Amino acid sequence: MPVPIGSGPNRRQFLQRAAILAATAPTLGAFLAACSKPAGTQGAGPSLTIAKPDSPVKWPIADDNKPIGDNLPPEKGATLKIYNYADYLSPQAIKGFEDQYGVKIEVSTFNDGDEAITKLRSGVDFDIYNANYTEISRLVTGGLVRPLNHSYIPNITNVWPTFTNPWYDQGWQYTVPYTIYTTGIGWRTDQVPADIGKLSNPYASLWDPTYKDKTAIIDDFHTAMAMVLLKQGITDVNTSSADDLKMVGEQLTALGKATSPKVTITMYSDMPAGQIGLCQMWSGDIINAQSYLPEGVGPEILRYWFPQDGKGLVDNDMLVTLKGGKNPVLAHLFLNHMLDPAVAKENFSAIGYQPPQNSLTAESLVAESFIPENLKNVIVKPEYFDTGYRTLELDTANEDAWRNVWNAFNSGGS
Amino acid sequence: MPRSREPSNRLWTVLAAPGIGWLLLFFLAPLYVVLAIVFGQRDPLFRTAVPVWNPLQWDPTQFTYVLTRIGPGEVYFPALARTVVYVGLASILCLCIAFPVAYYVSRLAGRWQGLLIALLIAPFWISYMMRMLAWVNLLQNDGLVNKILSFGGLFDVNVDWLTGQPVVVVLGLAYGYVPYMVLPLYAGLDRLSQSMLEASRDLGASRVSSFLRVTLPMCRPTMLAAVLLTCLPMLGDYFTNDLLSASPKTAMVGNLINDSVQAPGQTGQAGAFVMLVLVATVLPMIYYVRVTLRGDEVRT
Repeated sequence: MPVPIGSGPNRRQFLQRAAILAATAPTLGAFLAACSKPAGTQGAGPSLTIAKPDSPVKWPIADDNKPIGDNLPPEKGATLKIYNYADYLSPQAIKGFEDQYGVKIEVSTFNDGDEAITKLRSGVDFDIYNANYTEISRLVTGGLVRPLNHSYIPNITNVWPTFTNPWYDQGWQYTVPYTIYTTGIGWRTDQVPADIGKLSNPYASLWDPTYKDKTAIIDDFHTAMAMVLLKQGITDVNTSSADDLKMVGEQLTALGKATSPKVTITMYSDMPAGQIGLCQMWSGDIINAQSYLPEGVGPEILRYWFPQDGKGLVDNDMLVTLKGGKNPVLAHLFLNHMLDPAVAKENFSAIGYQPPQNSLTAESLVAESFIPENLKNVIVKPEYFDTGYRTLELDTANEDAWRNVWNAFNSGGS
Repeated sequence: MPRSREPSNRLWTVLAAPGIGWLLLFFLAPLYVVLAIVFGQRDPLFRTAVPVWNPLQWDPTQFTYVLTRIGPGEVYFPALARTVVYVGLASILCLCIAFPVAYYVSRLAGRWQGLLIALLIAPFWISYMMRMLAWVNLLQNDGLVNKILSFGGLFDVNVDWLTGQPVVVVLGLAYGYVPYMVLPLYAGLDRLSQSMLEASRDLGASRVSSFLRVTLPMCRPTMLAAVLLTCLPMLGDYFTNDLLSASPKTAMVGNLINDSVQAPGQTGQAGAFVMLVLVATVLPMIYYVRVTLRGDEVRT
């Protein structure tokens, strides 16, 4: 039997090498620590002020972060950098701005807010960011956003008055609204003949075994679990009650057993493709779904339901200017550009999400056939924002508890 | 004999330095980073992971959180068990498909060998994602697969292939990783000692008997290497499940890692799962190394 060349270490060599390794291991740690950037504040750092509709917040403006001065000329020949979701900004709106000011616009995309904030903290020079109000606290406290100079944004008068003093940013110091949307239930009448909207508890239809393998819920822990709470009649969609969360966990397990839903955010293309017949959906998604329908399938089969009294999940996205951006004047002007009624309306037709423009009322949208009759429930009305429920930023311990329930569901009990 | 080899051993050590350096820099150092994150802290404001480099300050909370939940009957157990089952089935399927192909190409193809090898490498030219997306298209409710199964409308085949079917995920994994198995098998089979095989036939073994009692045992290390080469990446695969199923019912450990990594404050849990997968993969590797070191087969 041939012996392998070069026998392995004998016992003495092995012990020697192990001793060397044990001695050098801590220095390896020190070596790596020396290579890494200095860590941020640990332990007793600034804490998070969480804004709520019933406890609005006026954010402080740091001394080293004052708004830009008045009447500054726009930066010439610059490249305005926008950080946004994919397909969430009309190319025509971009082109219009580029032509008007003779600049270039570069859009970078992200998949979700947490990924975006991580990137923003790494010191990029984006000018504009599409934020959600659940992030505003972290953005302001982390010094990532630049306060606005209102003199550059006169078009704010075109949007709903509530946005000049929203609870998440009193005095609109940092934000302008971008889109408004609701989270309801969407379905296709050819796969789901029942009128889900007429059921006593439309959310419960997702648990109906009749629709097994045809359903989906949104792949966001807060949105999906909030819907479960609403289904059970609990309106505090940011609850920290352990009993409520336990109930949500049980309901999600029951959901998995009953209809085995997909967990995704691509229902805007999966539903028109026929993969999904009934799902939790954002209002903009069902509008977008119309353009994904295959040949021979008309848009009249799509339906959307949201509580008519507005007592469901409402939401809005915002645009903010970033401190690291090199073109603050252009950034302000772009925000103003997106608040123009014609631009906003064109953006609406491109991305499917409604802007809170005063000129776009439910009546005008249906009258102009901008929104088909079968989908008129997607239109967001100002009253919804008075009665609707908001998914808010959660404090660390609570968010951990929520995410643990969600992870348990996502790992799929057999 | 060993003593006279001392000087050349030192030369080999020096020559091995780049490889050792590579291993340290691109394997051991990142592994240490993962450990520093698993046992590290979280930024209280942004809830991002803050690595702790000094082992003496390591905080095992996140690791024990995961460890206490992977036992039978616990939350994460189904996903882990499912991963083992899916990967096992997919690997066996890959082997059953790849072995005959590799055997044919290495031993029986004759002058077509070059062309066949080029064709076998062709799938690598197309990204994994594109190949899976093609299957998404075929498996849709009104896709080709359902059309063929219903014989163009004769039967009513109402199978939802893309909503949480374990069969689809296993087949997707097998389809995605078969190219990775064919090439190592081909390389190993190509080096089989032709004289040993001829000897077994000369000594009276039938074709089948020769194959079962001589060829297969000689291929064992090759098959082991090929299986490991495909099985280990499969263990971390999350993309196949995401594309072909997107349902928690077929979640694998890769999906657990993916979900935890993307959730702020849970990066440590993701790291814990990574450590679990690492431990699970190190054991077969140790077995493989022992098998090949002890190898007593004759190769040309």
